[in-house]
Amino acid sequence: MLIGISLISFFIMHLAPGDVTSNEASFNPKTSEESRQKLKELYNLDKPVIVQYTLWLKRIVKLDFGRSFSSHQRPVLWEEKDKNGNITKGLIQESLPITLLINLLGIVIIFSISIVLGTLSAIKQNTWVDRSITLFVFIGFAIPGFWLALLLMYWTGVANQWLPISGLHSQGYLSLDSFSQTLDLLKHLILPVFVSSLSGLAGISLYVRNGMLEVLHQDFITTARSKGLSEKKVIFVHALKNAVLPLITIVGLSIPGLIGGSVIAESIFAIPGMGKLFYDSVLMRDFPVIMGILTIGSVLTLFGNLIADLGYAWADPRVRKGIIR
Amino acid sequence: MTHHLSQSITRAMPLFLLISLITSCSNNDPEVIDYKDYYELQSGGNLVNAMVGEPSNLIAMIAGDSASSAIAGNIFNSLIKYDEKLNHAPELAAKWVISNDQKTITFTLKDNLFWADGKPLTSEDVLFTWKVVTDPKTRTPYASDYLLVTKASAPNPKTFVVTYAETYAPAIDTWASLHILPKHILENEDINNTFFSRNPTGSSYYQLDQWISGQQVTLKANSKSSQGLPNISHLTSRIIPDTSSQFLELTADNIDLMNINPIQHQRVFPARKDLERKINLYKELGNGYTYLGFNLKKEPFNDINVRRAINYAIDKDEVIKGVLLGLGEPVASPYKPGTRWINPELSPYPYDPEKALNLLKASGYQKNEAGLFAKDGKVLAFEILTNQNKQREMTAVLVQRRLKEIGIDVTIRVIEWASFINRFIKTGDFNAVVLGWSLSLDPDQYNIWHSSQQGPGQFNFIGYSNKNVDKLLEDGRKELDPNKRERIYHKFSEHLLSDSPIVYLYAGYGLSAVNKRVQGIKNPAPPAGIYHNSYEWFMPKSLRRNEMAN
Amino acid sequence: MKIIHNPLALSGLIIIFLILILALFAPIIAPYDPNFIDIESILVAPSIGHLMGTDGLGRDVFSRMLFGARISLLVGFVAVGIATGIGIILGSIAGYYRGWLDSLIMRLVDIMLSIPSFFLILAVIAFLTPSIWNIMIVIGLTSWMGVTRLVRAEFFSLRQREYVMAAQTMGASDLKIITKHLLPNSLTPIIVSSVLGIASAVLVESGLSFLGLGVQAPTASWGNILTDGKEYIQFAWWLSLFPGMAILFTVLGYNLLGEGLRDVMDPKNDN
Repeated sequence: MLIGISLISFFIMHLAPGDVTSNEASFNPKTSEESRQKLKELYNLDKPVIVQYTLWLKRIVKLDFGRSFSSHQRPVLWEEKDKNGNITKGLIQESLPITLLINLLGIVIIFSISIVLGTLSAIKQNTWVDRSITLFVFIGFAIPGFWLALLLMYWTGVANQWLPISGLHSQGYLSLDSFSQTLDLLKHLILPVFVSSLSGLAGISLYVRNGMLEVLHQDFITTARSKGLSEKKVIFVHALKNAVLPLITIVGLSIPGLIGGSVIAESIFAIPGMGKLFYDSVLMRDFPVIMGILTIGSVLTLFGNLIADLGYAWADPRVRKGIIR
Repeated sequence: MTHHLSQSITRAMPLFLLISLITSCSNNDPEVIDYKDYYELQSGGNLVNAMVGEPSNLIAMIAGDSASSAIAGNIFNSLIKYDEKLNHAPELAAKWVISNDQKTITFTLKDNLFWADGKPLTSEDVLFTWKVVTDPKTRTPYASDYLLVTKASAPNPKTFVVTYAETYAPAIDTWASLHILPKHILENEDINNTFFSRNPTGSSYYQLDQWISGQQVTLKANSKSSQGLPNISHLTSRIIPDTSSQFLELTADNIDLMNINPIQHQRVFPARKDLERKINLYKELGNGYTYLGFNLKKEPFNDINVRRAINYAIDKDEVIKGVLLGLGEPVASPYKPGTRWINPELSPYPYDPEKALNLLKASGYQKNEAGLFAKDGKVLAFEILTNQNKQREMTAVLVQRRLKEIGIDVTIRVIEWASFINRFIKTGDFNAVVLGWSLSLDPDQYNIWHSSQQGPGQFNFIGYSNKNVDKLLEDGRKELDPNKRERIYHKFSEHLLSDSPIVYLYAGYGLSAVNKRVQGIKNPAPPAGIYHNSYEWFMPKSLRRNEMAN
Repeated sequence: MKIIHNPLALSGLIIIFLILILALFAPIIAPYDPNFIDIESILVAPSIGHLMGTDGLGRDVFSRMLFGARISLLVGFVAVGIATGIGIILGSIAGYYRGWLDSLIMRLVDIMLSIPSFFLILAVIAFLTPSIWNIMIVIGLTSWMGVTRLVRAEFFSLRQREYVMAAQTMGASDLKIITKHLLPNSLTPIIVSSVLGIASAVLVESGLSFLGLGVQAPTASWGNILTDGKEYIQFAWWLSLFPGMAILFTVLGYNLLGEGLRDVMDPKNDN
């Protein structure tokens, strides 16, 4: 499966005309063609595509994703120590955590808020509560992300100085204690997390609403009610559990969307994550990094789906009981 | 019933957003500062600016990007620098002497030069740097100028001597752009793959304090600086890829300095008094120009009448007004306006559609039924290519309109840089381009205009060939007397204007917005630009941000 | 028709209809040529002469918005057309023939679903030239997976029905069965998915414009009007407000219609 992903990625990239020696500097009259040809050879770019691919494949089996072309030989995946003990950090190693953090926070928010919104909407179906939540949800779905980001940045950062505008840390961050540091980071993350998870929030709230509606009309709910259980118990214990189960799988499926959507948010909010790294690598034709990110991104998705499946299995009493027996 | 409600709520949204946008626009600053006219010089402070990209490598000879050279420029010195009038001035070298045969330069270093780690800086370091840049294993595209040196030596710690095979006039300029590297740290390192690229030791005003990957690079004053201490003790460059986010940060006082575009300079600031109160605007002429280039190897551009006709048909004043909002100068020589290399007797082709029409007719072009010029059945039409640069796109659109008016059909294609260079420029597969040249301070333009430089990947990609110009360019490289050189390059500019292989469009101004807390900036900018004396700028204590605990 | 009674679908339909009319009659309604440059009127605020103001080259924003509607709709329709086309073909094959063909196609679907699609779109557009055709094709080529799964699922449940078996015994060709019996009955999810897909395609185009990879100058698209104006939102608010609202409404309209249709056509709602 991973071979499939890597094959597709590799060949798509070689659609690209141009290579890493074609950045801005190379059109400076002070540089010469011989020097650039020299660079090409040093980077193996003059070998045929198939050869380049097999060389790459051989290396990633050992988890060696190679070195970046454009970031001057920084390792793509993990840090390296040279003979003097100086550590050079890997590109993905540095950018993955923040993207992961934003996506995880996003998933937590999506999960929790959409359950609340969806349930409210379902319980009070066809009232103004339902209508306004549905309206909010649809607008959230429809709003272009970067436009919303700019408006919010202006409103919360310039017109009123409530939140920081871009970046991850304030000046003088390192002199704060760890509690303030965390607070500072969270303040910087509020807008990016909100903007990147808004459409997911919208979609899943709707899903929860529909799921709850379906469940609430089923027989076992009527049975529970007739047994005299309180309405609260009926909703929160019985209906919710059943409606929420498929949600776990859906959230797992939305991971690639979240990762992909991070390109724009990271660019606007100046967050050095994987999305931005990917975009820059594409423009620089930095193949090792592009391949690395596509591979890691897919691995993460598969991993996420695995967790989702496990979570589903654990949550679903039918499956759980089956395993225990 | 209910769908009417949701629709009315939906329709009210834009009004709500509009109202909040407008009311917040007219909010006053939370803190109104009364700026004085004069402040006393005080050291210290942290100047925060923004960069679009992150530096990749602080060893300038290997890094290609502007972010890297901008930061490296604060850390390293060259032998020579340019003073505010753009004359050569001592940086690490106290003086330099050219031999009688004009092939050898002897540099004498200043006294008491040290690296930031305290070790002495000597001619050994200069020799070492030259060896590194000319080493075939070093991954640098800038070696060619230094390879012209046939012999380099360091006879004593304060002397560095280079000998060229032939007199090479641009030589001094090349020693103004080579950052000298420390031999004692790098001699056993692989220059392509060393920790030094992210943790360098230099000799200039600043040294690296902290590099938070992907976010910001902070420099602090170098107490052992070979040039003396700067007033501002810390420089922080925040990496903010989106220019609209940068502008928001500037207006919110989170960054002190950024490059702005003509619209921000001419329209946004004047309309926002609250911004004008706390931010100063500067402009300086850049060292380069934007042009419309023709592929001289293709029809119809091999016809001088066609090229001149197009030149007359374009209204350059309109381009400067429309694209740059007036913040640009017309050019008639391929040099920065105000320098001695500009030929003062030349003026740009004026906007004269009549002349354009006559020239085309003289070459046998006739207007067909559609109102377009054609000859031998072929319509005069071509495609203008340009890269993703807002100003170049707008320029192309204006050029297209004027050419359409006289009967030439033009289409525009905007292409991302790497594809542009590789698929179109290097292969010669283009008709016309809107591009710019960023020039060195030496007047030599051999690489761009000499007929021998037309190979794939070389800079004479438009295919210009003029024997007189070739000779002038060769002579210019060998002539050391500035007055004689001036005459050579004036003649060169004359030929270029007459042949019209390109249409000079404009030399644009670099525009900066700097928060008033940064004092000491020379306005108007001297020829070398406002950043020339950035080490003399200072930030009065009363205006500084409360941030870092020093 | 039930559609009229469903408020979601109805509002969606009204919005879409409005935009369609504006787009279709753009050349008649637009007061200026969208590419007419007027350097005397650069960045003029909305006024009588220019209802939505002008942009950085003095071009009338209202006219550009009308023609931009055409681009947005075109991108949406063509991209979704391609995606649906591919989805129907692959989904039918997988759902009808099952076996190894099904596994192969599902593997392909899984692989494509695991690669963040925006990354893929970004990479391909950056490598080829950004043009309206490339954008439409690439969006189409990265959004067929949902339709494939839906069609396949429908086929699984339908192929057991008697009329299918009957057609098979009578010797009807596979193609005939698929096109005459199975597909027409699988239309519901395909239509809903297409409508929602158009909404998503419009958003993707605006995202690509932000990165400089969308529809190229001088063609007007809502995405690039928005991007052109993003550096002066504190001054030229009209360059942000109008295209942003337009995108919002269009996408809203399609989503409302899609969800509404889903409600309407869902057989469970018949009870």
